Amino acid sequence: MFWRLVFQLLRGSRGRLTVAILAIVSGAAVISALLNLDLGVQNKLTQEFRALGANIVISPASGAPAQISGAEVPSLMPEHDVLEALQQLPSAQVSAAAPYLYIVARAQNIPVVVAGTWLDQLGKLDATWKLEGNWVASREDQSQCLVGRNVARRLRLAVGDPLELHYLDLSAHCSIAGIVDAGGAEDNQVFASLRAVQSLANLPSQISVAQLSVTGTAQIVADYAARLAATLPQYQVRPIRQVAEAEGALLGRIRLLIVSMVLLILILTALCVLGTMAALAMERRKDVGLMKSLGGSISRIVRIFLAEAGVLGAAGGLVGTILGAALAYWMGLRVFGTSISPRWEVFPATIALMIVVTLAGALPLRMLGDVKPTEILRGE
Amino acid sequence: MATLVQVENLRKAFGNVRALDGVSFRADAGEWIAIMGPSGSGKTTLINILGGLDTPTAGQAVVDGTDVARLDEAGLTRFRAEKIGFIFQQFHLVPYLTAVENVMLAQYFHSTPDEKEAQQSLERVGLGDRIEHLPAQLSGGEQQRVAVARALINHPKLILADEPTGNLDEANEDIVLSLLRELHAEGHTILMVTHAPSIGRLADRRIEFAHGRLVQAAAASLKPELA
Repeated sequence: MFWRLVFQLLRGSRGRLTVAILAIVSGAAVISALLNLDLGVQNKLTQEFRALGANIVISPASGAPAQISGAEVPSLMPEHDVLEALQQLPSAQVSAAAPYLYIVARAQNIPVVVAGTWLDQLGKLDATWKLEGNWVASREDQSQCLVGRNVARRLRLAVGDPLELHYLDLSAHCSIAGIVDAGGAEDNQVFASLRAVQSLANLPSQISVAQLSVTGTAQIVADYAARLAATLPQYQVRPIRQVAEAEGALLGRIRLLIVSMVLLILILTALCVLGTMAALAMERRKDVGLMKSLGGSISRIVRIFLAEAGVLGAAGGLVGTILGAALAYWMGLRVFGTSISPRWEVFPATIALMIVVTLAGALPLRMLGDVKPTEILRGE
Repeated sequence: MATLVQVENLRKAFGNVRALDGVSFRADAGEWIAIMGPSGSGKTTLINILGGLDTPTAGQAVVDGTDVARLDEAGLTRFRAEKIGFIFQQFHLVPYLTAVENVMLAQYFHSTPDEKEAQQSLERVGLGDRIEHLPAQLSGGEQQRVAVARALINHPKLILADEPTGNLDEANEDIVLSLLRELHAEGHTILMVTHAPSIGRLADRRIEFAHGRLVQAAAASLKPELA
């Protein structure tokens, strides 16, 4: 009988409750959309920031440049030190890593910066790079190299052309597998196999820096860098702060905005429900007076009305949450240019919020406790 | 017969107005008493106090061994659910509940709803074909019969009827009065407020109020105790 009463109440007051249900559905839809966007965009942004390139750099401690074969080169570090350190840490968070040995060689008698690296990692370290031609699939392949687009233009090089590099009295040959458009300093560089460059410079197992791309929030990157620094105390390990801080600041601002809006919407929804329930409480004074005269205790009567409000909040919350997930998907595509998948945890959270807000909005029903049956039955 | 209602020196004041001013009377179980008098004479106040809807300023109102004046809010609520059946002039049905649900509402507040029993109660008052109708779909007489079915559903000790035919046409008045006669014949105790002498004469006895006092009693079995 309890639920029969609740549903008859809902049916009997559907006109009046339409305003409240619209407020609840709208509120739930916006909150669900915002929460889905918050969680979805956070993931997407993290991925986007990772795509901007390496976010941890390992380099020798600052000191005097090394003298090698009479030429002055920046400080170097043994390759195996870094590789050993990386093997000691969990690899799941590292999406890409590559050691670099930078030298200035000559090609067609023109000085050019040559980066010896693991060529198979280049595209993973910075997903924003555009490539004409092909990536080099194996880091052991010394026969192929990549050139920056400025180098290619200056030396009139095309994909498939041979390239001869000279360093002091040594030389190396490779075939150009692809031309890189990085939109930065890399456009002026030649990327060759680490082994080939180490041989060319006569610097076996030496590297200038190592770059890592670690997946996760700014805090995760900072934590990983700290652990790496503890493993490699003789070297500098630093997160690339601009990217990490930009990501952290942007996510922080987005979250603050979303939390503020969710609170505002909850308050507005509660006020709307409050207004409807206050009007409803006045309308139901007669029913409550009658129920009291039939032997209904006020706690039992108010429980019926609160259950009605709870059902209203749950139903409105469910419909609104589904609409909100669709809205988040649409906004993700239109505003952020990415698809935002619905997050299951948003559903119970939004529905629970709506039930709480609706019950809070049902506070005017407490006025019914003061209803005197004799006044109601007299028609006052 | 055993006394079901014992009223002793009952007083009720609303500010300076004495709605009841030292009323005393008793009613035996199975009696049908008509309470008569002009408007404002205290009839409805007496019914409200005996039904546990209001509390007296002084005096005793004992129904089936329970002094209503001594009950707190929770006690009054239980008292109304268990011992009283109300029939109001304006029917007072819940508009969004069907006829059977209105009857079940009284069961719900009393104990456990039993839809079959509620249906039988409606069949008894001649509304077997109106069970699923909303009050707005029923005539005034039919609504009052639903109210009678609701008043009877919990087998109350005392039926309090406040102008039960006041809003009905003659045909429906006859139907409701015949129902009250049936209830009386079955042994129910009925206190009925009415303005109409013709209806009052149907009761076992009549007691008349004026200015909050019991002023006159009629019929052989009358047992007034004038204050």
